[in-house]
Amino acid sequence: MLASRFLRPLSTRCLSTAVSPSGGGSGTLSLFSPSEEHVGLREMVRSFAESEVEPQALEHNRTETFNLPLFRKLGDLGLLGVTVEEEYGGSGMDATACVIVMEELSAVDPAFCLSYLAHSCLFLSNLNQNGSHEQKVKYSPGACSGEIVGGMCMSEPGAGTDVLGMATTATPKGDDYVINGQKMWITNGTVDGVNTGDAFLVYARTGEARSDVSMFIVEKGMPGFSLGQKIENKLGMRASMTAELVFEDVVVNKSQLVGQLNGAAICMMRNLEIERVALAAMSSGIARRCIEEMAKYSTTRKAFGKPIGDFGQIQKMIAESYAEYMASKSYIYNTSNNLDLSSAGNVMDSDGVKLFAGKMAKDVADRAIQVLGGNGYTGEYRVEQLWRDAKLLEIGGGTNESHHKNMTKWFGKAGTTLP
Amino acid sequence: MRVLVGVKRVVDYAVKVRVAADKKAVDLANVKMSMNPFCEIAVEEAVRLKEAKKATEIIAVSIGPKAAAETIRTALAMGCDRGIHLTTDARTDQELGPNSVAKLLAKVVEEESPDAIILGKQSIDGDFGCTGAMLAEHLKIPQCTFAATIDFDAKTVERETDTGTEVVSFPSLPAVFTADLRLNEPRYATLPNIMKAKKKKIDTKAADSLGVELNEGNTVLEVFEPPPREAGIFVDDVDGLVDKLKNEAGVL
Repeated sequence: MLASRFLRPLSTRCLSTAVSPSGGGSGTLSLFSPSEEHVGLREMVRSFAESEVEPQALEHNRTETFNLPLFRKLGDLGLLGVTVEEEYGGSGMDATACVIVMEELSAVDPAFCLSYLAHSCLFLSNLNQNGSHEQKVKYSPGACSGEIVGGMCMSEPGAGTDVLGMATTATPKGDDYVINGQKMWITNGTVDGVNTGDAFLVYARTGEARSDVSMFIVEKGMPGFSLGQKIENKLGMRASMTAELVFEDVVVNKSQLVGQLNGAAICMMRNLEIERVALAAMSSGIARRCIEEMAKYSTTRKAFGKPIGDFGQIQKMIAESYAEYMASKSYIYNTSNNLDLSSAGNVMDSDGVKLFAGKMAKDVADRAIQVLGGNGYTGEYRVEQLWRDAKLLEIGGGTNESHHKNMTKWFGKAGTTLP
Repeated sequence: MRVLVGVKRVVDYAVKVRVAADKKAVDLANVKMSMNPFCEIAVEEAVRLKEAKKATEIIAVSIGPKAAAETIRTALAMGCDRGIHLTTDARTDQELGPNSVAKLLAKVVEEESPDAIILGKQSIDGDFGCTGAMLAEHLKIPQCTFAATIDFDAKTVERETDTGTEVVSFPSLPAVFTADLRLNEPRYATLPNIMKAKKKKIDTKAADSLGVELNEGNTVLEVFEPPPREAGIFVDDVDGLVDKLKNEAGVL
């Protein structure tokens, strides 16, 4: 009786039961959960992810649709405003808390996690660090609850890694600015595939100098602001909506200017740091899931009369994956534990973690498919999807090449003596 | 109304347990531990009472090692107001028996005088399912076990039986209730509440300081895994099936 009653939650609520050998029990403090709050947060998110996010992941990836009701549940749990101060409806936690949520969500559904990132890091955390009291009062509570879904607009059809080469302009006109241009690859750019998302932080050129860039809040329904297209048929991250957004004489009041005029480059840098560490955490979640799937499969699948885990080739793939995963994870948390959301200047390691974790997750996902063979190549086993999702982390939030550039330049600024 | 809930730290229900090398117990090294699922239901019921303004205070009690404080912290994050931790190094899955636990809880109840005591119907490690009934007996107060619904206004409890449910009434409070699976669906602790829980108070005292005999449990002689299920066979036709049922299974 008891056993059968527990079957339902058993199959959905807890996928990973093994506890990391070096991390101790999930309840103990560690590099990865440095305070009691972090421990509680990780347990709660993992439990929620496994029982509520996991069961819907395959279907939403197949249909390329965003699960808005589930997203709003993240708001009920206090996760959407994880880094936002309590007075604006958030939970007031730190970079590591954000990283924990990202890692745990990504292990079950990277695409859903990507929408979370765009909303919580790129919109909410960005506004929280750079916006005025009035702007935060106006937008944060609704975004923290999930009533509105937000995003950030930086890339353009003609400007990606060369972000300051952006062509979108905001021209002053009385008490207003008039925005013209196009933004590309905008996560949460649409939620339903028909209309734009609800609110965006938009970077636009406001002066002659290359770094004369400012940030504005643009809302759904503003005349001239429209959905260019929903980007279809992406390799991965299919349950997260990506869009091209069009700005055609969009008039915004100067009260929508976030931070200083021509001062958004620093906002951008600050926000990119947490974004990159959070994206690295996403790679970490993908890798954890892939390793769990590999390890599980290797004990049950038999070849030549014994479990495939008895063969050296399989052992090599599993062991190397675990070691690389733990190295990456340690680097990520070492960086996030020292990341001050209000400062800029952690470029070396916020680029470094994403560079390292991105490749790590892609390699691990690749090995997972190899270990699972034909099964790994098909959707049911999840690793095929994780492999496709993992590739984005070498492009989105900064291409590997942009990390190479930033990191090498860093030596010029900081000298060549390493810690 | 003041409510006392019991929260036990057990091996997470989804963990595939391993027998320790000496075959004396289940191996707890590096195993994920969680709040007993039935205790979660008890906590949820109490928190709902508080949200409905029927309860004014919820006290979460756990008996166990140092780490059981984490389980209390989880209960506090779900909405309990304060915790009491009776510390013991005895293994709560097999060394500390239900009668010892009931006697310890009785001491706490005598001190705190709650109006309702809500426990899980059983813990998923020892699987005795006795603690609630024994506690009520020690305290000489009413007990309503295997609750599927509790109505404090009507003083009735719908309780699970082998054939369905029955509704019983309880004469008065205080009383002991044990939560069955259908009583409610426990919530997730929200992040703001996880942060608030850290500021809530947990009183800690040694279980052996309460004057209760703690080693009344059964002595475990050996722990072993259930034998693996043998593979089934195919029969060629109906006659073959009838033959097997008659001559091998002996059920016809």
